[in-house]
Amino acid sequence: MTTETKPLALTVNGRPVGPVDVPEGLMMQDFLHEYLNLTGSRMGCGQGICHACTVIVEGEGGALREMRTCITGAHWFAGRTVVTVEGHARHDAKGEIVLSPVQQAFIEHFAFQCGYCTPGFVTGATVLIDRLKRKPVARAELEQVVTEALDKHICRCTGYVRYHTAVRDLILATPGLVSG
Amino acid sequence: MGAGISRRGFLRAGAAAGVALNVSFLAPPAGARLIETPPRPGPDWLTPAGRPRYRLDAIAKVTGAKTFARDYRAADLPGWPREQSHAFLLHATKADRSFEGIDLTVLGEALKPDRMVLHEDLVADGITVPHPDFFGDVFLVPKGETPRLLGQPVALLIYRDFARYDAAKRKVRFDDSVVRYGAATPYNQPPHYGASRYVRIDGGSPEAEDRYSPFKDSVIFGKFSGDKAVWPSPGEGDAMARGMAAAAQIEQDIAAAGSDALVLKRSYFSQSIDASAMEADNGNVWYDAATGVLHVMAASQSPYEVAEVSAELVSTSKFLLKEVDLKVGYTVGYGTKDHYIFPLFCVLAGLYGEGRPVRLANDRFEQFQTGLKRHAFWMDNTLVVDRSTGKFRIMTGHFRTDGGGRANYSFSVAFVGATAAQSIYYLPQSDFSAAAFASRAVEAGSTRGYGTLQSMSATEMMVDEAAELLGIDPIELRLRNVFRSGMKNTQGAIPAGALRNEEILLKARAHPLWSARAQKKKTFEAANPGKKYGVGYGHVQKDYGTGAEAALASLEFDPRGRISFRHVAHEMGPGVTTSQAIMVGEILGRVPDETEYGVVRWPQMPLETTDEPYTLSQDEEDRRKQNPRWTPRITSPMSATNSVYYLGHATREAARILVDLALWPAARSLWSRGTGGGALAPYDVRREDLRLGGGMINAGGMPSLAFEAVAAEAHRLGLPTGVTVHTFNRWQWTEAEFDVPERGRLRLSIDALALRYGEGASEEHKRSMTTGGWHFIERAAVSYPPAQRNNAGVTYYAPMATLAEVSVDIGSGTVTLLSHHSILECGRQVVPELVSGQIQGGIAMGIGHALKEYLPLYEDGPGDGTWNWNRYELPRAKDVALWSQTAEVLPPLSDSDPPKGIAEVVMIAVVPAIANAVTHAIGKRFHDLPITPEKIREALS
Repeated sequence: MTTETKPLALTVNGRPVGPVDVPEGLMMQDFLHEYLNLTGSRMGCGQGICHACTVIVEGEGGALREMRTCITGAHWFAGRTVVTVEGHARHDAKGEIVLSPVQQAFIEHFAFQCGYCTPGFVTGATVLIDRLKRKPVARAELEQVVTEALDKHICRCTGYVRYHTAVRDLILATPGLVSG
Repeated sequence: MGAGISRRGFLRAGAAAGVALNVSFLAPPAGARLIETPPRPGPDWLTPAGRPRYRLDAIAKVTGAKTFARDYRAADLPGWPREQSHAFLLHATKADRSFEGIDLTVLGEALKPDRMVLHEDLVADGITVPHPDFFGDVFLVPKGETPRLLGQPVALLIYRDFARYDAAKRKVRFDDSVVRYGAATPYNQPPHYGASRYVRIDGGSPEAEDRYSPFKDSVIFGKFSGDKAVWPSPGEGDAMARGMAAAAQIEQDIAAAGSDALVLKRSYFSQSIDASAMEADNGNVWYDAATGVLHVMAASQSPYEVAEVSAELVSTSKFLLKEVDLKVGYTVGYGTKDHYIFPLFCVLAGLYGEGRPVRLANDRFEQFQTGLKRHAFWMDNTLVVDRSTGKFRIMTGHFRTDGGGRANYSFSVAFVGATAAQSIYYLPQSDFSAAAFASRAVEAGSTRGYGTLQSMSATEMMVDEAAELLGIDPIELRLRNVFRSGMKNTQGAIPAGALRNEEILLKARAHPLWSARAQKKKTFEAANPGKKYGVGYGHVQKDYGTGAEAALASLEFDPRGRISFRHVAHEMGPGVTTSQAIMVGEILGRVPDETEYGVVRWPQMPLETTDEPYTLSQDEEDRRKQNPRWTPRITSPMSATNSVYYLGHATREAARILVDLALWPAARSLWSRGTGGGALAPYDVRREDLRLGGGMINAGGMPSLAFEAVAAEAHRLGLPTGVTVHTFNRWQWTEAEFDVPERGRLRLSIDALALRYGEGASEEHKRSMTTGGWHFIERAAVSYPPAQRNNAGVTYYAPMATLAEVSVDIGSGTVTLLSHHSILECGRQVVPELVSGQIQGGIAMGIGHALKEYLPLYEDGPGDGTWNWNRYELPRAKDVALWSQTAEVLPPLSDSDPPKGIAEVVMIAVVPAIANAVTHAIGKRFHDLPITPEKIREALS
């Protein structure tokens, strides 16, 4: 770990960032927090265990990938397109917030209490739904698939039930995600 | 949660120093925006029926907006410099050697801190620890001394830029060469923290006057001789001596128990755990030497305490202090951010920031190393049961708990554990003692459950074993001994209201998980070779409240009927901001249009306090209460458990008073318009006929009135259109009398009142509004619950039972939770979705305690700085029977049931339920938690 820097340029929430000089060993989580003032992706463990810090990286063909920013260096994201939790909702013509379907499902299911882990769940659920758009799941396997996908996300307040139920219900309500 | 600390000395010093305390909250702007900028046009968070579609704070949280204290940097805080310094602490990982200094060679010149602070710097600058009997005697280990506890900080390193801070922190982490130690020494033992004992012998029946009880007579306090608690000698003298004589009598009765009784003696252990609140401890402090203002931004469940203690810390040092400006964001702590030392380390960082704000924020390793822990308990229990009736004759429990190296709330956690140990049973004779010991372990403190998870889980495991030994169904044994309404608890106090444990037991007994367990065990085990099936039951009732619950709330409406609501409550996750607003709606028939939480400025309530609600003598309180502005406490620490009932009481009282003083007379005025007394005159319409709902007001067949019309009339008449109240509860509500203009003397369940009169008020009334624009009405009389009621321990309970269905892999020892069903009684639910979320979340945390979470206390424990969630296993979705769990909530006895605090009880019943289920599965009993695969394999080998 040094403070030697090199330039970093990437796209975050649809906006180009940089090039900006960033320490070579800086973790993406700290780049988001301290350089971009995007503090929604939360520091939980710093070890890649709890997944409170995850963001979406758009891969080839538009497929979404969930990345842990606490154990991934900022420079790994060079040239990539990143969506943090702050980038999911949009504003309509009147300036009102329009939540993403995952966000809307979470609030209507009272999915969280303290909300510290919520950004990670928003990210994980969004990536799962993107995956199911490409490869739908059989109805009989749906609950298992939801739990497999989200099990890596730790929540200490709400006991997971409402997060997972919200995602299951959203998948069922979204055409094309469930087969059979 | 527990007893407070004395601050009398500070209040005097603070007043002398002329320090202004100014506490404000960061969250309200985010909260306020929710209503103004909902995701769809219009204020859509409510249904037309006034029910919440989502939490008040949902949008901010789900979009990742800055809400937590941890999210804020100096540049986000109005008026602060934009440049942000960063700091971290170095910690001692040995408590058997002297600390000899810091060696930062590993950092090289480039990463040397811009400022390093040692104990000797603090001494030079006159900085001492406020309340050393609570927070410990030193912040940083003095050179040449042995640390008080593993993980105790030895130095504070400050960097002016993040990059060097980050690089340096990574370099010194796990590097044993940085903190230098000297020769081996004995442990630097602080005094032990306290011992108390609760002895009760009933008068021959639950109804008869007790022969001895803490409530009637006295709690017994012990001392220490070395590492042993020593109790007063038994005798006929003072109350404590008589109590020890009663304890001796109980011991004799146990010894004399014949073959007609089962005498079961067992020892239990409940482990230390880390609450693992996902937001680690953090703060950001800017000390402006030029103005003498200390700007503090900290995560805290007790913000007033942080402001006061910070002021005490600085005002007694060389640093000039005129004002403490504290800002608090949303946070989560499960009790561990209540009265904890971390914010004071943040203050130290700010003082040495050379004019720049300094942020001190634990990473997870540091959080394990220094965050408050749940106490480990060792419990020696005895239960005496009549074999013919299955009735409990006697239960005793003698508990030791390890508080670690700072006192914090260890003493009160210990005695709260002792007072809860009876669980849901009536005990004719009981003797529960608890002693809190100091050790080199990481400090333990206020943590969800507060000693009761430990003691009640042990009781429930013991009752299950007693049932087996007596050959009685475990639920049947519970029914024979259940604590019923009107009986006395082990302190000799009669709990509030109806106790509905019997209903819960009958429901549990009829549940298929219980009634079909024998058959299902056969079927399951036949179908799953190598696996054993079991169902266990746990049933507890948890007290809620602290015995000194105080709150402020304010409600007012304008002539257009817009309702504004202000409250001291602030959010930590359970949904207090949502439920308080809904409670207003239930009484006024309309949810407030504007809400402000975490309000700390109450100019209309010029209250004074000594803030010693637990220790003030009756004589002293009787003298002080003559001052109509005095109250035992201004506000309580925020916890999930105290919000709906205690904080809600202030909300409900303000709303009810507003109805009585304004809406009812204004509605009558409108209905009386016209010749001959209008529509009202022919009917006999009474106050109890009044109905408010859906924004409309009705009564006894009168035409429905829009809230707006009634509000306008109340203003026209100059009625009180704003009400602010202060409430206080010492296991009973305070009542006071107020001379309300034109209404005469009113007796209300509050101890302070301020009114704001409507626009049409008389000049005289307007002239009376001189206190922050309000009329503060000095009370004419007040009735505080007697100081003796402190001995009641608790009087408010909420019960919950859980049936746990498990399978045990006899090869690996792995326990899998197949399903669970819980039955909760919480009075009237305010927001059922929040109650359900509490149940689900509490159960998950309980599963962790029963099966997974464990911290060694000493050298190989979290104080060594290497613990994180990779080795400390938290329950995950796959562990909680996510898709098969169910729960039911008893319907209230009537719609007038109060809502009960349930945030702790929901976590506890599942712990003994799992332990008892494992026993049902494999026929082995476990007395130590957690029940790990290793323990199961060993038991089966």
